[in-house]
Amino acid sequence: MIEIENVTKTYRVGVGRARFREMLPSPLDRLVGRAFPRWWSRDSFDALKDVSLAIPRGASLGVIGHNGAGKTTLLRVIAGVTVATRGRVTISGRVAALIDLLVGFHPDLTGRENAYVYAALHGLGRRAMASRMNEVLEFAEIMEFADTPLKRYSAGMSARLGFAIITALDAEVLLIDEVLAVGDAGFQRKCVAWLDSYRAAGGTLVFVSHNLGLVRSMTERIVWLDHGTVMEDGRTADVLARYATASERRQDATTPASHDDVEKLMQSRGLHRWGAGGARLEQAHVWQSDEIGSGLEVAINYDADGLAEALFCIGFVDESGREVGGAASPPMKIAGGSGAIRCSIRPLPLRTGVYFPVVGIISPDGVVRDRWRLDRAVVVPVSGSALGETFGPVEIPAVWSTAGDPS
Amino acid sequence: MIRALWSRRHLVWALTRRQYDLRYRQSVMGLAWAVLAPLTTLGVATVVFDRVVRVDTGGSSYAVFALAGLVPWTFLTTAMNQGVQSVAIAQQVVTRLAFPRAALPLSMIGVSLVDLLVSLGLFGIFAYTFGDGIPGTVVWLPLLLIIEAAFVTGIVLLGAAVNVFARDVRVAVPLIVQLWLFVTPVLYPLSAVPPGLRRWFDLNPMTGLVETFHAVLVRGRAPDPALLVPALVGTAVALFAGTWYFAATESRFADVI
Repeated sequence: MIEIENVTKTYRVGVGRARFREMLPSPLDRLVGRAFPRWWSRDSFDALKDVSLAIPRGASLGVIGHNGAGKTTLLRVIAGVTVATRGRVTISGRVAALIDLLVGFHPDLTGRENAYVYAALHGLGRRAMASRMNEVLEFAEIMEFADTPLKRYSAGMSARLGFAIITALDAEVLLIDEVLAVGDAGFQRKCVAWLDSYRAAGGTLVFVSHNLGLVRSMTERIVWLDHGTVMEDGRTADVLARYATASERRQDATTPASHDDVEKLMQSRGLHRWGAGGARLEQAHVWQSDEIGSGLEVAINYDADGLAEALFCIGFVDESGREVGGAASPPMKIAGGSGAIRCSIRPLPLRTGVYFPVVGIISPDGVVRDRWRLDRAVVVPVSGSALGETFGPVEIPAVWSTAGDPS
Repeated sequence: MIRALWSRRHLVWALTRRQYDLRYRQSVMGLAWAVLAPLTTLGVATVVFDRVVRVDTGGSSYAVFALAGLVPWTFLTTAMNQGVQSVAIAQQVVTRLAFPRAALPLSMIGVSLVDLLVSLGLFGIFAYTFGDGIPGTVVWLPLLLIIEAAFVTGIVLLGAAVNVFARDVRVAVPLIVQLWLFVTPVLYPLSAVPPGLRRWFDLNPMTGLVETFHAVLVRGRAPDPALLVPALVGTAVALFAGTWYFAATESRFADVI
């Protein structure tokens, strides 16, 4: 159980006077702060502003937000690395913070020696660590390099060792900050699998990441931080969809808005909107129902003066911009000028993930006239299927039967 | 702070051990350095104080006499030089992990204590080779070491905490320790100090302490309580000031380091 009540964390920026103020021991600091409140608060910056959260035992909470939103500060305050300027944090249970996988490692020490120090820094004694050492080395897959200095390790091996030690801590509250990005995909899967079993065993997890896919699969609740305040706090799928949409908009602010600008940037792939011109998409709406496995409705308004016939397409890209799949319409008669068409995808053959729809209009000669990546995220929640995270984004509609079944 | 530290005492031990492993990991001479540091000082001191100036050590071999002072002094020097910067150089760990910060300076003192034991062994060899052996008053040694360790702990805690905010400390400490050596009767006996300067010398907590090391390790005399008073007062003040300031500021280390 973690309780965060009205927590504000103020950092003092700048050098000189700020540094002198930091030197004052706490009671004196409070005294001067009360006597000269204006002078005292100058050059300061609130990384967290009046944040309140209650995280019940066994919950998995994701923390998302843009850089500088206060995610890491929140984690540090919970971990006790730094102390809240105002407000209170109460935690019950053994806490382990994983803010950096390699912290405390020394290149000249062997893997085994480093493991002891690392465990001690996390509060695990030498004897307790010794009894789990083999388990740790095995998890990290570095058994044969246990007595090799860390400087001979690859980055992935060090990271694996760091995570493996965490698994030996028997933590009841685990705070993870963007550390699963290191290591190869195989080990990442192993970590995720371990975290799943940790959660299943009743462990509390606070997970900070920019990888929305991981956040989605690891947590059932999300806190979205923005400039130090809680923007939203709710079910993962809901918050994630709104967050993804908002981030897309943010990026859009830097891309050209007018149609002329778009045409100037024709054919430059990677932009959110491009095309040969001559026809354009005015508006696109996407409706997604909440039920798992249900479909998607798309409505596209177009303006295609010069064309009598056109094809429309819809596709999906994932968070990293990778194209996932799509569908194209047959040539459709468009009676000149503007109009609207609708498209229904039912069921949506996408597996758990966050996707962005791309809509396009193509003339019969195959020229893409206008192609547009929408800033509305489509979130497919965790389905609870046996496959979990594996096997990629495409849901294959399969029909199963037992052998010998007459059908 | 003390309770948190006690519950994590294994961390102090682990860090001490790590520091020790590290120090000699890539060196050829290894542990010999713990002996070489006091030996070189001793060599120079012997030339200066035994050949050039000729101080009166009261009949005992100068080398044995000087080494009895260098053993506690080398401990003070290494503990202070290493301990004061211990928190600031552990920036990475301090900003990412929650643990009692005092474990960092204390582990440095722990490493210096191991060195101290090695140099004590060296003293034993010297005492039996060049001197009259070790007198029975050596039983007072543990008490003296406890006083010195407490005194050094206080200073190191204070210095390490201030050094987080102002790195000047790290630069100033070696200089201070160097000057301190000249005004402490380590390489010369307290009796060589002119009476007019004596009261200034008595203000130095290390004066009585080092002189008592000479007394119990070389001269075979029990400690003179009057000599130890400044040391005890200094220890109490240093330990209180160091612990208080460290405890009052350690929650901010991660923010300013």
